[in-house]
Amino acid sequence: MASCGPVVVPSLLAERAGLRRNTRYLSTFLGARFLGYLLFAAVAWELGALISLPLAPRIILIGVVHVLLGGVLLWYAYSAGHACAPSCSGSELVSLGVTKKRGVAGAAALGFLTGLSLCPPFVAAGVRAAELGSVAAALLFFAVFFVGTSVWFVPFVSLGCVARNSAVTTVARMAMVLIALYYGCLGLTMLLGSKLYGY
Amino acid sequence: MATEARILKPGGTAPRTIGRSLLLTLPIALWSLLMFANPQRHSNRSLQIASLITAVFMIALFFMMMRTTSTYRWRRWFFVALGILFPVGFIHTVIMMRGTMGIPIEEMIAGRTPFCYLPIPLLILPAAFTKTLVFPGSILPGGGMSGAGMAAMAGLWLAITLVIGKGWCSYACFFGGIEEGMASVPARAKLRKIDPRWRYGPWAVLLAMVLLSLALFEPAYCLWLCPFKAVSEYVAARSTVGMVQNGIFAVLFAGLVIALPLLTKKRTQCAFFCPFGAFQSIFNKTSVFDVKIDRARCSPCVLCKTACPTFSLTDESIARGETLMSCMKCGACVDACVKNAIVWHIKGTEVACKPERARLMFLYAAWGMAVMFGGSIIAEGLATILHVFV
Repeated sequence: MASCGPVVVPSLLAERAGLRRNTRYLSTFLGARFLGYLLFAAVAWELGALISLPLAPRIILIGVVHVLLGGVLLWYAYSAGHACAPSCSGSELVSLGVTKKRGVAGAAALGFLTGLSLCPPFVAAGVRAAELGSVAAALLFFAVFFVGTSVWFVPFVSLGCVARNSAVTTVARMAMVLIALYYGCLGLTMLLGSKLYGY
Repeated sequence: MATEARILKPGGTAPRTIGRSLLLTLPIALWSLLMFANPQRHSNRSLQIASLITAVFMIALFFMMMRTTSTYRWRRWFFVALGILFPVGFIHTVIMMRGTMGIPIEEMIAGRTPFCYLPIPLLILPAAFTKTLVFPGSILPGGGMSGAGMAAMAGLWLAITLVIGKGWCSYACFFGGIEEGMASVPARAKLRKIDPRWRYGPWAVLLAMVLLSLALFEPAYCLWLCPFKAVSEYVAARSTVGMVQNGIFAVLFAGLVIALPLLTKKRTQCAFFCPFGAFQSIFNKTSVFDVKIDRARCSPCVLCKTACPTFSLTDESIARGETLMSCMKCGACVDACVKNAIVWHIKGTEVACKPERARLMFLYAAWGMAVMFGGSIIAEGLATILHVFV
């Protein structure tokens, strides 16, 4: 919950959407995060363990995920200002609950990328999955890991109650930009450090 | 008569007599002398002289506040001195301690990092969820200067905050003075049209930094965004990340503390960025002091709005007869009002009911704290400079 908090909390607050739409957003986010988990589980089992990768490729992988996450957050923050009404021609990334077509992309992209970002408990789970006897066991392990960690997201739905104020949504959008810059900057720094110094 | 006119605030309130002003200054004078003019306390000669100068400085400024009934322009001298002299004393101390302004990771782990109040709001969630203090430094016994420093700083902050609310940002913060000094340099603002939504900036930084601190288990603001790292202690750059972090500190300091205050004549870092300021705004609700607008006297000339260094007055708030919760109680609007319509106020009383008494009560609390907290820092900084000559 703590690791995904910087992505989920501002994006929920920026939606100005209410409880029902926040529930849909969170469901999509968690669904895509689950897909990210399963992908990670399969790769972790296949490779023995992602953490057994040499340091440089691991840093590049984390760096790329950070840059992508920062980019999607930045786009989301920009687009959230345009998603004012169903008639608005807002970006597809924020059209969840506003237009019917392609409306899940934003939540899904953020969920998938946070599912791939290597927070400490996630890496620990990856090691455990890598030690299991079959890919099915690894997938099951991550599915249970997902259920256990997802419970903590349920209270986030209530953020829809406070996100009805324009000041709150403005603050949330600004916070998203800052968090996007943090992830983007960290990711680029990791890629640069990896290129220059090999770590 | 000309002298009298010069010392009056624009509103034109008659100055107090010298005798009465001296009498009102007496409690602060005694407090200042108790704090600073005790030769037994300091074996260091330059610190003795610096303490004496500080005591006289603080007493003189308070006397002028009493004599002229103007607050902002006298407070500003203190605040700018605090902002400039804090880095002088601080940098000298860290260089004496470790030979560099850079904090190596070993120093952080050993808890030899002086505690700063700015990350207090960022530490709350990690502490609540995990009972872990993510500020670099130990609170265990023997944890360097952080243990006692942290407890003293947090206790002092809480006590002062409960009384004067966001007045902390105008009478205690040792960072805001540099930008206030910069803002007072130009005669006119070159940049006037500023989107009012930037006022939400501090809340956004607070939200982002609290979430990142919880996610990363590190004081994200201190490591990535604090502009004042540029003039206090920065990250010892041993990696690309460290170099980037130091670059960000320098850019933010140059932009928010130097360039934008010069262009806007506002405290831009405080108004648009400081997460501690946003957190402190909440405590304006607990403080008994605030600033109100007497609607009967107010003709909406918006001089107060122009004078406010933190955009804490809007047309709507003036119409409501109050400042926004981001008001730092610096007194700029009160001094600027030619009709004496903006007044210091004690909650629960009538708006126009003895405003000068409310101002006095606020100033005794705020200046008493300023003498104790800011005065000590000014004395340290002065002593560092005097040490070169004495």
